[in-house]
Amino acid sequence: MTSVKEYKCPSCGAGLDFDPPSQKWKCNYCFNEYEKDQFDISDNEELLNEEMPELDSYICNSCGAELIADNTTSATFCIYCKSPAVIKSRFSGRFRPRNVIPFRLTKEQAKEIYQKWIKKRIFAPKEFKLKEEVDKITGIYAPFWLFDCKADGFISGEATRVHSWRQGNYKYTQTKYYSILRRGHARYKRIPVDASKKLDDKYMHMIEPFDYKDLKDFSMKYMSGFMAERYDVESAEAVTILKDRVKDYLSERLRGTVSGYSSCSITSKNINISEIEQSYSMLPVYLLVNKYKDKSHIFMINGQTGKVVGDTPLCLPKQILFAVAVFLLVWIIGVFGGALFA
Amino acid sequence: MRKKSSISALILLSFFFISYISQALVFAESSKNVKDYLNYLTAEEIASLQSDIDSIKKSYKLDVVIVITDNTQGKSSRDFADDFYDYNGYGIGTRKSGLLMLVNMQNREIWISTCGDAIDIFTDNRISIMEDNVIRHLSNNDYYSACKTFIRDVKNYAYDGVPYGQYRSQSDTNITYADKVSRRIKSVSIYITALVISLGATLILSLSSKGKITINSGTYEEPGSFVLTETRDDYIRESTTRTRISESSGSRGGNVSSTHTGSSGRTHGGGGKKF
Repeated sequence: MTSVKEYKCPSCGAGLDFDPPSQKWKCNYCFNEYEKDQFDISDNEELLNEEMPELDSYICNSCGAELIADNTTSATFCIYCKSPAVIKSRFSGRFRPRNVIPFRLTKEQAKEIYQKWIKKRIFAPKEFKLKEEVDKITGIYAPFWLFDCKADGFISGEATRVHSWRQGNYKYTQTKYYSILRRGHARYKRIPVDASKKLDDKYMHMIEPFDYKDLKDFSMKYMSGFMAERYDVESAEAVTILKDRVKDYLSERLRGTVSGYSSCSITSKNINISEIEQSYSMLPVYLLVNKYKDKSHIFMINGQTGKVVGDTPLCLPKQILFAVAVFLLVWIIGVFGGALFA
Repeated sequence: MRKKSSISALILLSFFFISYISQALVFAESSKNVKDYLNYLTAEEIASLQSDIDSIKKSYKLDVVIVITDNTQGKSSRDFADDFYDYNGYGIGTRKSGLLMLVNMQNREIWISTCGDAIDIFTDNRISIMEDNVIRHLSNNDYYSACKTFIRDVKNYAYDGVPYGQYRSQSDTNITYADKVSRRIKSVSIYITALVISLGATLILSLSSKGKITINSGTYEEPGSFVLTETRDDYIRESTTRTRISESSGSRGGNVSSTHTGSSGRTHGGGGKKF
């Protein structure tokens, strides 16, 4: 058994890629389409349950060249023959994902979405709108921990009710103070926490939510034609991020039940998270990294929903130009338009 | 001889009379501030009014003009009053402060035109009160009392000075579009508004360039799993404060001085009434 998996077209033997619009596998040479169980039937993914040894190097099944990949890359392309290559050991044992959301958007669709999005960012430097830059978009299955958990706790604080009325020449303002407390619990399902150090946590959080209707049992076949990373953030580490998020969710939820007051300030809260269960999953993300003035700027597109987030630098001359243009426009309208109706 | 002397006495007397009249006429003509083209006022009356006016000029630095005419050369009372004041060199100081009362017998209309400092002292309200006082006498054809009343009111209001909260309101009808534009170009508030809007728009666009979080506390909550187990709302205390309601400034309208620009380009205030 080889350590690198490449899926071959049953008809012509060329590489098979996963095709997001049809959610099938497509041969780029003979254009045949296959369902998940119509090819490579002999391959038993159960073997992935066992830990496989990490090798020093991996060899492309098509051309025999050495695959260039850093130690978290789990699916890639051979840089010589462009064949998709899935490194089995990086999906095996503790790295075997339970679920996957397959890509919904093709690379072309992702480019279009990004271009529309960046066009609206009028302060973005023009380098970010160049076609060569946009072409660098890559589809990556990003490792996520999906957590289920229970949260239980309370919030307490002080609320006021303000009532005012007029009597004679005086305005009376009556403020009633209340001590409030809300205790409750809730269950949360599949909260995603970024499991890759390489990918920026902030933007990974911003491209949420994913639609879990498309959540499938994991198969390496989905990886074919995309890049993939394996996790390097242990679940115990991710739990601390999860706890902070869930504490905020429940206290916000409890805060929402305080109504009928003019103001409310929460002075103390205590929320416990329990019954935490995690599953390791791969979620689809299109990634674009632009270098601008020696700094990397990351853009991410949710590979399922198309939501774009990114670190657009602001181009100061464009901002100044815009501010001056708005100033002049308002001034001209104020002076010439206003004089018409004065 | 007797007859001759009586005739000569008569001649002498009539000479005296004529010379007196003519002197009076000359005096009336020389009165700079009371122009009675219809001879409703006697020379003594004019002299008395003039001396009142002189004292106002001295103590309050305001020129006072009274014009009684039935020929406004086809102009409206307002324009005639403004032009009469501007083109006959009235007004004290560089601001040409003073006011003019026109009794226009052609239209049976009275118009008070103010200029310089008088615009601020004689607000629309005050002018209206003064005109009511004057009209009471004009309706009885008592022109001297009307003028006396006018001068008395001028003196009283000049003594009071500019009322608290007085402001001017430009109500120009004959001002050109170019004038309005040039006035707006000089207006600081337009520059400030434009600056605030342009900076605000730039800031909002700059901040929205990264994209935003679209999930909330309910996104990952299992539907129906939220249970509120305890709710307490305990009344602690209350406090009541009272503040005096300041008199509303809505009554500012009483202290407005409406202004317009005369044909000479000078700003005038004023108002008029029929009688």
